[in-house]
Amino acid sequence: MHPQIENAVARTRRHFFRDCGVGVGTMALASLLAKDATAADVGKRTDPLAPRAPHFKPKAKAVIYLFMAGGPSQLDMFTPKAKLTELSGKPVPESFIKGKRFAFLKGTPTLLGSSRSFGKYGKVGMDVSELLPHHRQIVDDVCYLRGMHTDVFNHAPAKVFVNTGSPQFGRPSMGSWVTYGIGSEADNLPGFVVLQSGPRGPRGGAALWSNGFLPSVYQGVPFLKGANPILDLKPPPGVDNAKQRGFVDAVKDLNGLRHDAVGDPEIQTRIAAYEMAYRMQTAAPELTDLSKETQETKDLYGVDPGKPSFATNCLLARRMIQRGVRFVQLYHTNWDHHGGPGEDLNKDLTKCCLDVDRASTALILDLKRLGMLDDTLVVFGGEFGRTPMGEKREKVGRDHHIDAYTMWLAGAGIKRGYIHGATDDIGYTVTENPVHVHDLQATILNQLGLDHTKLTVRFQGRDYRLTDVYGNVVKEILA
Amino acid sequence: MPILSNRCFKCHGPATQKGGVRLDSLVLARKKDAVVPGKPGESLLVEKITADDDDDRMPPVKAGPRLTPEQITVLKQWIASGAVYAPHWSYVPPKRPAVPMTSGWSRNPIDSFIEARLTAAKIKPSPEADRATLIRRVTLDLTGLLPTAKELDDFVADKTPDAYEKVVDRLLASPHFGERFARYWLDLARYADSNGYSIDSPRSIWPWRDWVIRAYNADMPFDDFTRWQLAGDLLPSPSTDQLVATGFQRNTGLNEEGGADPEQFRVERTIDRTNTIGAVWLGLTVGCCQCHDHKFDPLTQKDYYSLYAFFNSCDEPTLPVGASAEVERQVNELRKKKEDLDQAGKTTEANKVAGQIRRVLGRTPTTLILRERKPPRETFVHIRGDFLRHGDPVMPAVPQVLANGIRSDGKRLSRLDLANWLVSKDNPLTARVVVNRNWQYLFGKGLVGTENDFGMQGSLPTHPKLLDWLAVEFRENGWSTKKLLRLLVTSATYRQSSTARPELNDVDADNKLLARQSRLRLDAEIIRDAALCASGMMCSKIGGRGVYPPQPTEVFSFTQKKQTWIVSKGEDRYRRGIYTFIFRQSQHPLLTTFDGAEAQVSCTRRNRSDTPLQALHLANDPVFVELADGLGKRLLKDGPADDAGKIDYAFRLCFSRLPSESERNRVLKYLADQSGPPETKWAAVARVLMNLDEFITRE
Repeated sequence: MHPQIENAVARTRRHFFRDCGVGVGTMALASLLAKDATAADVGKRTDPLAPRAPHFKPKAKAVIYLFMAGGPSQLDMFTPKAKLTELSGKPVPESFIKGKRFAFLKGTPTLLGSSRSFGKYGKVGMDVSELLPHHRQIVDDVCYLRGMHTDVFNHAPAKVFVNTGSPQFGRPSMGSWVTYGIGSEADNLPGFVVLQSGPRGPRGGAALWSNGFLPSVYQGVPFLKGANPILDLKPPPGVDNAKQRGFVDAVKDLNGLRHDAVGDPEIQTRIAAYEMAYRMQTAAPELTDLSKETQETKDLYGVDPGKPSFATNCLLARRMIQRGVRFVQLYHTNWDHHGGPGEDLNKDLTKCCLDVDRASTALILDLKRLGMLDDTLVVFGGEFGRTPMGEKREKVGRDHHIDAYTMWLAGAGIKRGYIHGATDDIGYTVTENPVHVHDLQATILNQLGLDHTKLTVRFQGRDYRLTDVYGNVVKEILA
Repeated sequence: MPILSNRCFKCHGPATQKGGVRLDSLVLARKKDAVVPGKPGESLLVEKITADDDDDRMPPVKAGPRLTPEQITVLKQWIASGAVYAPHWSYVPPKRPAVPMTSGWSRNPIDSFIEARLTAAKIKPSPEADRATLIRRVTLDLTGLLPTAKELDDFVADKTPDAYEKVVDRLLASPHFGERFARYWLDLARYADSNGYSIDSPRSIWPWRDWVIRAYNADMPFDDFTRWQLAGDLLPSPSTDQLVATGFQRNTGLNEEGGADPEQFRVERTIDRTNTIGAVWLGLTVGCCQCHDHKFDPLTQKDYYSLYAFFNSCDEPTLPVGASAEVERQVNELRKKKEDLDQAGKTTEANKVAGQIRRVLGRTPTTLILRERKPPRETFVHIRGDFLRHGDPVMPAVPQVLANGIRSDGKRLSRLDLANWLVSKDNPLTARVVVNRNWQYLFGKGLVGTENDFGMQGSLPTHPKLLDWLAVEFRENGWSTKKLLRLLVTSATYRQSSTARPELNDVDADNKLLARQSRLRLDAEIIRDAALCASGMMCSKIGGRGVYPPQPTEVFSFTQKKQTWIVSKGEDRYRRGIYTFIFRQSQHPLLTTFDGAEAQVSCTRRNRSDTPLQALHLANDPVFVELADGLGKRLLKDGPADDAGKIDYAFRLCFSRLPSESERNRVLKYLADQSGPPETKWAAVARVLMNLDEFITRE
């Protein structure tokens, strides 16, 4: 790193130490993080992604964030409303929408009851619709947030808001904050990886996994489909592994000679970066090669070998976490069911649910049987939900809804089989235990052992943080 | 004051007054006897910061660490000596300070200021860098290119005393100078060739980018440069260039997403414009006042929306450039027609005319400009930053604390008034902020380390007198960027070696005293340019539409829309980095990997990180592999017959120097390990050299 950045990071680390009053105990705490081979790494690695001690003992070592891009309809998946069905077709009472703004709805829209049938499942008695037949198996492992709400109702700003805590572009994303705060245990893979499935990429693009004003080493790395998941991973034509090793060695030796001549420690960092890049060239293809996974596992997820899908991405995410990756984010498009072409709340929502139901369920089951759910936090949800009112387009649809929607969390010290929050009779507003996006962010950081008010970086004269100046850890959902 | 600002103002400052105590001015601080001048013993402040009871003691634990005994002593002494609230340094207009006495080391006044501090710290400056390092450094800094072998040889052979100055003058006169410095300005302007947000459609604003290049090459005085970009449309009978220049403000993103409220995003663009003026000209974090009065600086929310008001009455038209006179005549006629229809509220007809305008224009290039709207929109304070909640109405005005010298006399101030004030003597900030950024470009960090925050929370200048001297010099030299840069790069300070000095690690680890130069990793675009130079394949054409060098198709697998990226053919494949087409939401991987500007908000300083993905990019990316092949061929074609000679030649092309014995031997050994035809072997050698830290660093 450039000395300026290094200073900035060092300064922030000093913040950690100072603010938590951590001194000699730090290293002990650091080793709490690392159960296996990584314990040695804590002392050894010096690169900017080296694992670092969090503020306090963490519950989660890693996060898998299943981002349902577009805004899934909570009313058709998790939150049945008898009253809404009863009032379907009637105008929404003025009291609900007075002073509200919507992306598309105009005038006085009419309510739309769900056409889906629901059942209650598990000890918790969670409502799950027919769209998610697999999900029923994990309701007692999951914590549902029925009182989610957010601030912005357009896709790109709303996604940026969930990821960076601000609807404006330019701030670091959650995965960047996390790797900036505690580094990554993987020394041959990026610490923050982004995967994509569905017909197109998420609206907002690279801003969603941007490092913002942090160094680019904390940027999310998009994993591509196929055997070479990282851009430029593969040596050029005609360069085999032995030749590439010879190349890296020559670069190392010549860089070493320059270091001897000019004494800049930055050159050592670059030598280390080339070594890690070389290791990635082997580690990344090994990671994406699913041939060592059993057929039973592949079937559990619904992986169709050679076919990129959300299922493949879920299995890849599990493999990444096993290899020490800190933060994996899976985007699945497109959940934007307005009722236009390809956005039919009946047909296309069914398809989206089919895409993710089996694999997201399998991920929880698989992590659980591998003993990994205890220290892996899984998050499922979109940038907002959908309105109880219908949209009048070619087909059936709902508009973007920011006042009440549902997400779920599982693992890493989150209560199992628990429903948090409730909404009114038509599912318009949160009536108890609201959870704002900033609260969710604070809670995710908390499970990683990070105090969201202390994970800061000085930029433009003030200490920036993921949660802006807001956010409360949702203590009620912690086990 | 910095102690109070850092540790107290957040709760006892302009925005918040816990317990009714406010510490940011003496009059207010006296109210509760928080500060009693001359009497620390009677001051509540001292009682609170020294309280025995942990719960009583200020600042509270949750606000951060306790004050150190030294800080407490400073505060007590300050009160004892009368508690003088000196205005913050950057709000006082700079005066030219006397230049300190100098020794033989100094080449110009810059050095005298630097030397004075070094002498006080008993540190000797570093020796001058050797000629090879110097020419590579100054060529990269001023043009972003590598010196050619001939330029290197000429300079090394030139025994005249002003050999270096001649190089500097040649570089400043080079048309590539404009490209180099335009790119810095593009960072500040958040330039991109697309609209951003979700759909991220392409836009045409490259004529503005070309205008910036021309302006730097012509050494346009910075005051005019400011006026044109902020208010070119308000100048008398504006020329096309003056209109094109207003494109600076059109580099904001544009949300084309279905269901987006146009007014909401117009407000966001206006906010972005306001914040950009704060960062680029004032070095102030005015954006903090969007929702509340500034926590640390004497800027109110009203100040913010008064500044915002300058930009709140703008239309955002498209201007054809370089059209034939006939086309221009037709377009102007149609425009007038459209304006009348707009005024009359006949939207359908107006849209029809807009379509006619597009047809007449055909392939004529266009660019985005700003135009004043009549009658002006009313501006209100947005309560808690919510554009739907209007507070008091405000008129365009500059922040009160800086308002010295600008008076409205009842007339509504315009963007032109703002621009004139920004570059007037009465504004204490602009010259300092601009000089500081140029310093940062040449030394790695500014004399004020927080280049975008000259406020109370910013860092203090390491050499305040030098900063002021340079600011006044810049203004009085007629705002000439070239004269300023010439002064900087010909200083002995700039010409020092960058070799590490371990003996200074304890006394000046951050090199704040400038006892040496710094090794700086090249910016993303310049890394490409350096590889183009070394390979001899660079196309030196200046300006024009953005181009499409090869990039992996996977770049668009993570975007909402698959953007069109047809790889440029012929010379356009080998254009400099500044011309690569920028999709804001999916930039070329070279730019995202090497800390390019994000092009979302104004970027006043890029990070310089060092990552494994950078290694993969340089080692394996097809562009760099192709350029390494090119260098390999060049060595075979133009280099001497023997291997060692070719290696020497390669070092001169890449590093402007000869290899050491061990370096040459190591490369020879690598060469011996290669197999295949000579082209393959030398391409492999070239690939190694272009991956060295030194290749992407200016030393």
